[in-house]
Amino acid sequence: MTFDIGNMSRRNMLKSASAAALLASGVSSLVAPRRAAAAGTVRVLSVEDPFFFAMKAMIPEYEKETGIKVELESLSYEALQTRLVSAFVAKTSDADVIAVDQMWLGQYLDNGWIISLNDFIAEDSDIDLSDFIPEVLYSSNMWRGQIGTLPVAAYAQGVMYRKDIFDEFGIAAPPSESSEDWTWTKYLETLKALEGKSFGGNPLFPTVVCGSQPSPITHMFTQLSVSHGASWFKSFPGAPWDFSPELTGPAWVKSVEIYRQLYKLSPPEAINYVWFDAGTRFAKGDIGMFYWWTPYFYLVKNSGYMTGKKSDVMDKYATAALPKAEGLPQTVSLGGYSLGVPSSSERQEAGYAFIKWATSKATQKKMALWPDLNYQFSDFARASLYEDAEVKAVYPYLDVQYAMMKQGNGKITRPPVPGYTAVESVLGLTLNQLLTGSEDPKTALERTNGLFESILKGNLMIPYQKESFADTLDEAKTLIGTLGKA
Amino acid sequence: MHATTIRSPQALSPVRKSFVRRNLPYLLIAPSVVMLLGLIAYPLLFALKSSFYFWNLQVGPQPLAFVGLDNYVQAINAFDFRAALTNTLILSVVGTATEFSLGLAIALVLLKALPGMNVVRALLILPTTIAPIVVGFLFRYLYDPGGGLVTWVLQSLWLPVPAEGILGSPSTALAAILFVDIWQWTPFFAIVIYASLLAVPDEIIEAARLDRASAWTILMRIKLPLIRRTAIIIVMLRFMQIFNTFDTVLVLTRGGPGTSTRTLGYSLYEQGLVNFNVGLVSAQTWIAVLIVNIIVALYVFFAFRNEEW
Amino acid sequence: MKSRTTFYTALTYAAGLLFLAVFIGPILWFLALAIRSAETAFEMPPQLTFEPTLDAFRHILVDPGTNAPQLVNSLIVAIGAVLLNLPFSVPAAYALSRFKLRGKKNIMLWYLGLLMAPPVAFLIPYFVLITRVGLQGSYLSMVLVLQTLTIPFSVWLMKSFIDEVPAELEEAARVDGARWHTIMWRITLPIVRPGIIVTSMFAFVFAWNNAAFPLVLSSRSTATLPIGTLGYFATSGVTWNYIAAAAVLAMIPPMIIFLVFDRYVVRGLTFGSVKG
Repeated sequence: MTFDIGNMSRRNMLKSASAAALLASGVSSLVAPRRAAAAGTVRVLSVEDPFFFAMKAMIPEYEKETGIKVELESLSYEALQTRLVSAFVAKTSDADVIAVDQMWLGQYLDNGWIISLNDFIAEDSDIDLSDFIPEVLYSSNMWRGQIGTLPVAAYAQGVMYRKDIFDEFGIAAPPSESSEDWTWTKYLETLKALEGKSFGGNPLFPTVVCGSQPSPITHMFTQLSVSHGASWFKSFPGAPWDFSPELTGPAWVKSVEIYRQLYKLSPPEAINYVWFDAGTRFAKGDIGMFYWWTPYFYLVKNSGYMTGKKSDVMDKYATAALPKAEGLPQTVSLGGYSLGVPSSSERQEAGYAFIKWATSKATQKKMALWPDLNYQFSDFARASLYEDAEVKAVYPYLDVQYAMMKQGNGKITRPPVPGYTAVESVLGLTLNQLLTGSEDPKTALERTNGLFESILKGNLMIPYQKESFADTLDEAKTLIGTLGKA
Repeated sequence: MHATTIRSPQALSPVRKSFVRRNLPYLLIAPSVVMLLGLIAYPLLFALKSSFYFWNLQVGPQPLAFVGLDNYVQAINAFDFRAALTNTLILSVVGTATEFSLGLAIALVLLKALPGMNVVRALLILPTTIAPIVVGFLFRYLYDPGGGLVTWVLQSLWLPVPAEGILGSPSTALAAILFVDIWQWTPFFAIVIYASLLAVPDEIIEAARLDRASAWTILMRIKLPLIRRTAIIIVMLRFMQIFNTFDTVLVLTRGGPGTSTRTLGYSLYEQGLVNFNVGLVSAQTWIAVLIVNIIVALYVFFAFRNEEW
Repeated sequence: MKSRTTFYTALTYAAGLLFLAVFIGPILWFLALAIRSAETAFEMPPQLTFEPTLDAFRHILVDPGTNAPQLVNSLIVAIGAVLLNLPFSVPAAYALSRFKLRGKKNIMLWYLGLLMAPPVAFLIPYFVLITRVGLQGSYLSMVLVLQTLTIPFSVWLMKSFIDEVPAELEEAARVDGARWHTIMWRITLPIVRPGIIVTSMFAFVFAWNNAAFPLVLSSRSTATLPIGTLGYFATSGVTWNYIAAAAVLAMIPPMIIFLVFDRYVVRGLTFGSVKG
């Protein structure tokens, strides 16, 4: 079953009977196939996350500098994913640059849908690869020794809390640096001190969680579970890969118990909250403290996503380090969007040039300093920008964010392995049920473990038949060093 | 209902013409049939073939192996399949029945033909003209636990609203999805039934009145039997449409909480366009198509038994 | 007796008002969302009075105006779907209405059966198909695939309209020596014009409202409005005013059409009951 398009030219197709009949009926405007882009243009297909707006604002400058026209298209996450995979299956050239979520890298590279950027990078003398935070490249951009994408917006997770509320009730502010004293136990205790309180005449909720399945709840919960040392599989990313699920361990059970408690301290409607709902709720002003992806460090200062209007909490919140589990090294969830070049693109060099520009220190800095929408971009993968005084003046929390990034490991938190979404949908559903239900976490997790196993077996992941790859941070750093030296 | 037949033309015609004439009805039908076959056969056959292969785009770009009926077994055993099937059947049956009954009631009110009611009737169709995805957004706003109009109205009427919100509680979420469909499609039933009842000749009703039949008897014995055919068709149409419900679930609940609002349409979306398991979703597609075919075939068999064409 | 009539009249009007409140109220509430400032959108209790602003409409139509071209695309696709639909469905409906056919019942049911296919499961195969014929991203690709929804519905609806045209009219013309195509063009079609209008209205709305096909078949330059509304519901945030404004924009054309052609809807939307 192959889907070669064949060599039939588009012009011939237009002459075909069915199209001609339609043309005859006077609706020639209907026939406007996706043009193969003219030379001198680069087609970019992106998702509408915050980085998109800042990147879009910088594009006129890029066009002016290079004389290349950028055709930028943005889609919702669902639409992007659907469109891309359909295009891959049909082997068409839909774009020269595409936004790739961290989860998709392995699949896209393994299937040959995007190209490895290793050769481009090796021949490039001024990309300054070593300026990228290695933990980010390792988590989001490297797969089997290939750099498939470069990060345009990197996310870690961190804590946001209300300074005014903490002051009012005399609660010590959470620390901005990770320490053995700042644990999830302590986090829960702090929240419990806010239980049943009112603030400014309104009832206060100590925290807010995401409860919606499948992805939002998984994204938030896995930060908690990875902190407690939970891992999804028997052996990954270290070699040899063994995807036997390990959801029955005590770290998982403990994490579910804590997450349940967090939900009890949240507004009950949080059961249906997707990503932004948690941030929006915090911005509304009746939440004491919560943890979430770092883009919310700036998103919560705005009311409304694309309006640039200031929220009620704009000057009243601060950020803090993520709590850790007692006696365990901290691991922070990493995610975000990167840019890659589809193998079907006919102008891969132009694609790479755009990626290099969009992920460069200079462009990322300009994106950060773009004042519209009330400054809405600080998701740098470039280490040097975390030291930049100008940028820091706008985004005062960058030290916290950088510290979280340095402890990040996206490969453990949400393993970007083939078949991830199928198991994620099962985990998300179970977690969602556990929040409101009364089922024993261990029983539910054992059941989920069984489902994981049958799904992974069905997807030929157990036993793993392809080659394993010892995917460690040190290996990644070595590769970055080699490629960057050219 | 009897078909009007054109008798064969009296004039003698050349052989070529008589071929056209003899096959005229089929020639008139053919373009649409060919067009539809072309459009529907490809995806159906694509799905049929794929359903026998292990083909997961997350694992590999091409189908990896012929696996016989494995995908069907997996589909049926999938943790969510039975929940999705049950929910879908509930939505289809309860939704269609409610929409028909409410639509009939509204149609009867509209038939009173009081001055001004024409405006009501003209406006009433509007919900049906809105895109399902937009209706999804509309109700996400209305159901909002913090400031949604529906939430507020229920609370004002002292009706219990779950703390998790209307869409957040397993006890109300499916009903909320159902209500969205009822809101959107009851007007359609109302207008179609109204138009059909309007077409019932006055003489028949007058004659019955003279026989002192009660309004109820006239409705049950005369009006409804006369619009029987309309009823059969629109019920069938709606049943099939609700069976494929997907847009509203995607926007409102993503099948949650738990599996309480998971529908077949949403499952197909998730398996196909989120998990990219082409083989599995193809099997599920065929199972769904077969189920709805069986239901509709049974329905057609009983409903149209005494109908002429 | 008189007071009883008054009572029933009052009751009928009360019911009419209730219908409007339930079925039209939410639409107006959404319209209000599009023209109010974001801060008052989720007030409890709901705020009925607010300072109206057209900011959201300016955002979606003018600056940056993402949705203005999508509005045009939606119109092109929907009108294209209607125009392609008629030459296929009207002759078929005519044949099914006027001729005795073997297996007519099965043919009719076959059309309807096509509506059973779950569109969302067919997106990948449709994309592959459309790519194979070189039409990816074109308006035509959407117009073509939408026929799977519009033709079956139109054939059924159209047939019921043609059924109502008395055969005697055609018979008379035939006695006068007119040929079948003359009869169809000159006599039957003019009489069933309301039917063509109603059929076109529904085909337009089906095409206009479809969100699944454009999801994979459209491109940047051909994306339609439903895709545009999805864009405001991102993972990082939702901008309700823009969603509402784009949604209102998407609601307007079908609504205008249904209000303008209201009399045809009532006259003909019977799916072939009663008469025959």
